[in-house]
Amino acid sequence: MAAYNEAPVIAGVVADTKAAADRVVVVDDGSSDATADSAAAAGAIVIRHPVNLGQGAALQTAIDFALAHGADVIVTFDADGQHRASDIAGLVEALARDGADFALGSRFLGGTINLPPNRRLLLRAATWFTRATTGLSITDSHNGLRAMTRRGASRIHLRQNRMAHASEILHQIAASGLKYVETPVTIQYTAYSLRKGQTLVDAILIILDLFARRLHR
Amino acid sequence: MIAQLLLTAMLFAILLYAQTTYRQAPIIGFLSVVAACWGLYFVWIPAHASRLAELVGIGRGVDLILYTWVMISLIMLLNLHLKLRSQLELITLLARKIAIADANDQLASLSAEPGGGQPAEG
Repeated sequence: MAAYNEAPVIAGVVADTKAAADRVVVVDDGSSDATADSAAAAGAIVIRHPVNLGQGAALQTAIDFALAHGADVIVTFDADGQHRASDIAGLVEALARDGADFALGSRFLGGTINLPPNRRLLLRAATWFTRATTGLSITDSHNGLRAMTRRGASRIHLRQNRMAHASEILHQIAASGLKYVETPVTIQYTAYSLRKGQTLVDAILIILDLFARRLHR
Repeated sequence: MIAQLLLTAMLFAILLYAQTTYRQAPIIGFLSVVAACWGLYFVWIPAHASRLAELVGIGRGVDLILYTWVMISLIMLLNLHLKLRSQLELITLLARKIAIADANDQLASLSAEPGGGQPAEG
């Protein structure tokens, strides 16, 4: 999981996920608070970016690290506490059951708690945009809770450092031609996670980022 | 005539710039070539610039050339932005290598300690 200034919640998130995963890897993305120390104290393997690069960059670092250490299945998980560790088993099971290389969490197949209406609208619009640009038949485009096999993870090379990575990863899944499935998950919004969430301006910047990426090699 | 020669030299510089840019950002290279050729054409055939300027409601041919310069400047600005993005990608790769190497060192020293930690798998 990628974490940036998540000291208030990271220890609890690591403790929860440790119960559901063999290893928990936290990439501290240049935090100025005690995120790295809290995560390490809670039992995570901590990788520290020397400077803040963005969530996309941190996730790619975690994926590279996990692949280098022989991980068979990699689960990406938000560090702000809005995901449930109990959903990890469902994602991993879906990979094995359906012979897929990617299991994508969907809050719209599962459930949401305290999702504000404007955020719901924004997520729906983002999903529509992603379906139109990737051809993937998905119901939730910006869900950070997903699982991938080793083969799937080795096809992911995120170059969008910031929030546009969530769209980029779906583009790369589509381009890989590998099988994907959607799995119901529950997202619980808290005042803390909402403060850190995306706004309409972020959504516009994501579209501009995706466009700019296509202009150079 | 002096202004024409000066503008021509600058527009040729843009063409050179376009060539160096083409490999990294083909769309920028292409737009720069189009804008520079467009500028050269109007610098050397100002009558056409005036006619076109009247047609599109700009007023004077010389204004059209100025607008072309503005367009070229914007294209170069966009290219600068793209170059910055490329630099950031390099910094990211470097930072990632350092971060992973540090984590590996830390894991190795932990596992070397008696009763130390296990290597990570994911």
